[in-house]
Amino acid sequence: MKEENMNKADFFTSIFLFLLGLIVFIVSIRMPTFREVGAHPYSAPGIVPGILGIIIAFMGAILFFRSIIHKGYKIQISSQGLIKFFKNDSIKRLLIALFLSIFYVILLGKIDYFLLTAIYIFIFIISFEFNIKKSIFSQRKILFFALLEAIFIAASISYLFRYLFLVTLP
Amino acid sequence: MLQGLIQLGNELSKFLTPQLIFDVLWSTQLGIIVGMLPGLTATMGVALMTTLTYKLASSHAVLILICMYIGAIFGGSRTAILINIPGTPANAATTVDGNPLARQGKAGPAMGIATTGSFLGSVFGMIMLAIFTPIIGNAALSFHSFEYFWLTIFGIVICGSLTAPKDPLKGWISGFLGLFIATIGMEAMHAYRRFSFGNVDLAGGIQLLPAMIGVFGFSEVLMVMKQPAIKIVSNKIEKVIPSLKDILKYWKTIIRSGFIGTIIGAIPGVGEDIGAWVSYDFAKKASKEKEKFGKGSIEGLIAAETGNNAAIPGAIIPVLSLAVPGSAPAAVLLGAMLIHGIRPGPLLMIENPSFVYQVVSMILLATCAMFILGLSLIRVFVKILIIPRQKLMPVVFSLCVIGSYALSAKMFDILVMTVFGLIGYAMKEMDYPVAPLVLGIILGDLLDSNLRRSLILTNGNIIPFFTRPISFVFFLFIIFTIFSQMKWFRNFLKVLGLIIKKQFLKAKTN
Repeated sequence: MKEENMNKADFFTSIFLFLLGLIVFIVSIRMPTFREVGAHPYSAPGIVPGILGIIIAFMGAILFFRSIIHKGYKIQISSQGLIKFFKNDSIKRLLIALFLSIFYVILLGKIDYFLLTAIYIFIFIISFEFNIKKSIFSQRKILFFALLEAIFIAASISYLFRYLFLVTLP
Repeated sequence: MLQGLIQLGNELSKFLTPQLIFDVLWSTQLGIIVGMLPGLTATMGVALMTTLTYKLASSHAVLILICMYIGAIFGGSRTAILINIPGTPANAATTVDGNPLARQGKAGPAMGIATTGSFLGSVFGMIMLAIFTPIIGNAALSFHSFEYFWLTIFGIVICGSLTAPKDPLKGWISGFLGLFIATIGMEAMHAYRRFSFGNVDLAGGIQLLPAMIGVFGFSEVLMVMKQPAIKIVSNKIEKVIPSLKDILKYWKTIIRSGFIGTIIGAIPGVGEDIGAWVSYDFAKKASKEKEKFGKGSIEGLIAAETGNNAAIPGAIIPVLSLAVPGSAPAAVLLGAMLIHGIRPGPLLMIENPSFVYQVVSMILLATCAMFILGLSLIRVFVKILIIPRQKLMPVVFSLCVIGSYALSAKMFDILVMTVFGLIGYAMKEMDYPVAPLVLGIILGDLLDSNLRRSLILTNGNIIPFFTRPISFVFFLFIIFTIFSQMKWFRNFLKVLGLIIKKQFLKAKTN
């Protein structure tokens, strides 16, 4: 990440960290102390997270002031900038991988594990190897090998965990 | 000493069965392959292997994990030399001189030297582990809750400083976030469910392995897919076995790097990458051929590889003696030991003294396997580097998913893995080191119980935290580590040094 973008990221993260620390602290002091059952006041479950909350908020505040000094608050978001960002090849690759993986996790348990894993691997491979501009026939090798790998890997993982490690598949 | 050697011989002989030797060979080779593939790290390899070995007997499983660990850290040197990309973060220093050697047409000898350096580093670290683990373990028996409290803070602070040298604040934030994450779920004293908001799964806490698989596995899948494709440059690999002359010439560098690597490895959460860089830096400063560094120096390559492999046994020393991991893969190893019912820590030398010798035997076997496999089969396994990432990464993610699920068959663990993968990715993008986060998750329980216990003992008085000798030393180290990151303190130390020097010279002339 570029230095200037890092300062902007630090600005947002610092606010998040400060709020997180604060919330952790507030939730911690609201935790019961168990004094009514004769417990020692310093055995209260909120003590350690409370202290950690203060430390996180304090470090968030330092990060906040540092990002302010480096003008991290100057956030310039333009539609052109966003278009450029999403047209970037790296971002496209990242988003494809991210969305496919998240969908895979969401669908786990709803579709048969072997089938879902095979579909996931197959779509993942062809998302990066298949060229929409070319004919399917000219890319039949890509499709065939992607399908072969998908079936082989999904079957191997399913077999290994189901029958060797005796794990009930999700 | 003799008794120790006899015990080591006894434990080693127990591993010399055809089945176990076969397991040593395949797991080390698998480790080498994992290390070779950019994007697959030693931590990810050990974490995924933990899920694959949890049905085995404890010593058998730990043996396979150690082989994977040693193989992966070594395997990364192949990629570092051949394509100038460290296979694992531990091999970053190897690229500096390894790749220039490959470009000079010396890829084979460079890999041979890296293998020998790794072998010697591991052996050096193993000897240090055998000597120091019982000593540290015995010393730790005198630790009370005050010392344990400071030990956890010390681990977080030093790990944060060393893994984020550019911006230690981010390292500390990462560590304290990890400590906070560890407080989620049911606490031990009153069985109160903290930060679970009525969710039954959250009440069980965040399990270490799914979180680690996410942080080191899923986030790495995303990182690898984001980066441009790696171009493989073909290198002719001819002579691999290095000349004894080359090795003997740099014996001082080997011993120094072995020592530095082990010490750095033993520092909580710091790991092999820092071990390699510090060893490399020391070798450069002490070298008679400084000008060769960065241009294909054999000495530089030996220093980096000896340093990172010596850090492996180094990282296992605090695992066994204090139950505090020295590196991220060692953290998984610690988790695996706990899963298998082994309780590392100061009491290990009392409850299960032979286990330390078992671990030494395991390291010895893994190191020998790494040396043999490292000097053979090079041409065959280098071909693995041509596997395209889009074919490899969905397989890795599928293993991350099933690996997190397999331990307790809970869908929640898959969710934890995914969320931590996203957190890990965001942290890496914003230059937050993830090792302190993981260390925090591991040490959180130790901090929580020991801080509360200490406060109960002293009735809220914090003076004993500073007056007990070991606690005070820890406190001074922490303060020094934090202040040493600040400019004014460094300037103050410089001025102080100059004044002392002047006074010393004055006293000498008088």
